[in-house]
Amino acid sequence: MNLILKKDQLNHLLNSWRQDYEVYAPQALQNYTHFLPLQDGFELAFDKAHNTRIPPKALFLPTSEALLKFTKFGGYEQVPLETAPRIIFGIRPCDAHAMTMLDTVFEQERYTDPHWKARRDATLLVGLGCHEPCQTGFCTTVGSGPFNHAGLDAILTDLGEIFLVETLTEKGEQLFTQLETATEEQSKQASEVQQAAAASMPIAFETEGLKEKLDQNFDSPYWEEISRSCLGCGVCTFLCPTCFCFDIVDEAQRGERVRNWDTCMFRTYSLEASGHNPRPSRVERTRQRLSHKYTHWVDQINQIGCTGCGRCVRYCPVGLDIRAMLRKASQLPSEVAHV
Amino acid sequence: MSNEAHSPYLPIPMHVLHAYYESNDRSLKTLELSFDDPQDAREFFAAYNPGQFCLLSVIGKGESALGIASAAWEGDFVRFTIQKMGSVTTALHELKPGDPIGIRGPLGNGFPLEDWKGKNLVIIGGGCAFSTLYALTKHLHHPSNRGDYGKMTVIYGTRTSGLCMYKQDIAAWHQRDDMEVHQAIDVPEQDWLHHVGYVPDVVKEVKPSPVNSVAVVCGPPIMTKYTLPALVELGFTPETIFTSLEKRMKCGVGKCGRCNLGPKYICKDGPVFSLAELNDLPADL
Repeated sequence: MNLILKKDQLNHLLNSWRQDYEVYAPQALQNYTHFLPLQDGFELAFDKAHNTRIPPKALFLPTSEALLKFTKFGGYEQVPLETAPRIIFGIRPCDAHAMTMLDTVFEQERYTDPHWKARRDATLLVGLGCHEPCQTGFCTTVGSGPFNHAGLDAILTDLGEIFLVETLTEKGEQLFTQLETATEEQSKQASEVQQAAAASMPIAFETEGLKEKLDQNFDSPYWEEISRSCLGCGVCTFLCPTCFCFDIVDEAQRGERVRNWDTCMFRTYSLEASGHNPRPSRVERTRQRLSHKYTHWVDQINQIGCTGCGRCVRYCPVGLDIRAMLRKASQLPSEVAHV
Repeated sequence: MSNEAHSPYLPIPMHVLHAYYESNDRSLKTLELSFDDPQDAREFFAAYNPGQFCLLSVIGKGESALGIASAAWEGDFVRFTIQKMGSVTTALHELKPGDPIGIRGPLGNGFPLEDWKGKNLVIIGGGCAFSTLYALTKHLHHPSNRGDYGKMTVIYGTRTSGLCMYKQDIAAWHQRDDMEVHQAIDVPEQDWLHHVGYVPDVVKEVKPSPVNSVAVVCGPPIMTKYTLPALVELGFTPETIFTSLEKRMKCGVGKCGRCNLGPKYICKDGPVFSLAELNDLPADL
């Protein structure tokens, strides 16, 4: 259903949600915007068409979280699950879309991750579409978009003085029961804004046949060429909304078994006890990062495992640009498929 | 087990039943672990298939992935043979009977025993990777399983005779008339009555027949690398050659990303793959 939220009513609405939920929204902290819980007198920082530096996946898979607590005499117990109701307000469609991809990892039937699932089940995602898409984003190239609905309970379109609210789930509808219905004219205006936003984004690279090219060029010098200036800092993976790798370590002094974000861009990630490392240099590690997103995810869920949020482009300290890497990949030779 | 609240990261509480060295250089130690709760034992053995592995947990030190080296019929314990490598495996070596320990598992797919019924089995192992093949052989030896399979040939190589694991059992296997056992060491030793040479060469020498047979290979990467083509040369098709892969692992349940190999996770989709499956995966090992 399409509803109208006047911008001067927004804070009132968010405060009303705070009675029943912990509400997270983008707020300025130091030089970046972050999803932080709203406190009295909050100031939102979502006016720019610019994503938070740390993707909201961190609210579901924290950078560091305890899985087990150690008890006396060598015992241990599971850390209680986080089930307090939450709303994430102002999540961008690329990040919400990424959540649905991570669900396929953490909510598999056979081994559901209870920590992830408890937070997912307790959290509503209210999205803010990107009427002025960011410069580094390429969502429309990879099957997402500035007003993509995937993963969202509701999505807002900025129409100047007002937001048009589209509720997408029953739970999302419950959040906006106080609002007036949008007029046909307003709905039409929103859909024009949405289409114009998508149309303003150039196609960053050719995705047709890209998977096959990457698969077939596993041993190509291409990987060395694109990874040459990589520092191996891992920021492209830590800030990626679809990256989920983690390490598990025992923090004996704290008495906890902890999982921490990890990255395939680090040497020790795949280093084995024997000294053997299947990905000994940045060449293999870069190949793994790109192949995971652009071929392995495609094999697994028939979607590119990238929503085009553009963080890896924006934050790479040496200016490596995944769009340029993939444009180059689309020039690679492709074999005739063996039938 | 499958309910939402059950965490796949929560180890099953166990105790060390027996702990003994497996090799004369004390680099390999076997632990036999018993369940604190009989219900956990029932669930474990109902799920267990030879070829699977567990994550052994020393609280405060961490976890280590190890293949299961016992068959379910042996009793209400689970056996692991551990090579001392880093901090967790050192801590495992220091455990004594009665000490607490946790395990997560059984994890992974294990060997496709149903598909192998009626076939001759060629079991090829090298070094401490032989542990799951030992479990497989023990499983097949049980009278209720033995009749389901044809001829059994075991080829097992170690660097030295002192590194050979499960010596008593293997000595007894030589006496059985329902199987053929070929042992090998890398360099000659006094009083050694068996093969001398690397496993791929011993395979070529023994020449197991590919007719109505499957071959399963577990060993260090270099052994596997040369044994698989040796089997192909003998006439085994990629669909009848199986191997168990290893990569660094943390979660064991397809989440942490570490053992990713193309679209597969070795922990969840493996560790057992046919050569036909491997041929479709990137050489990212």
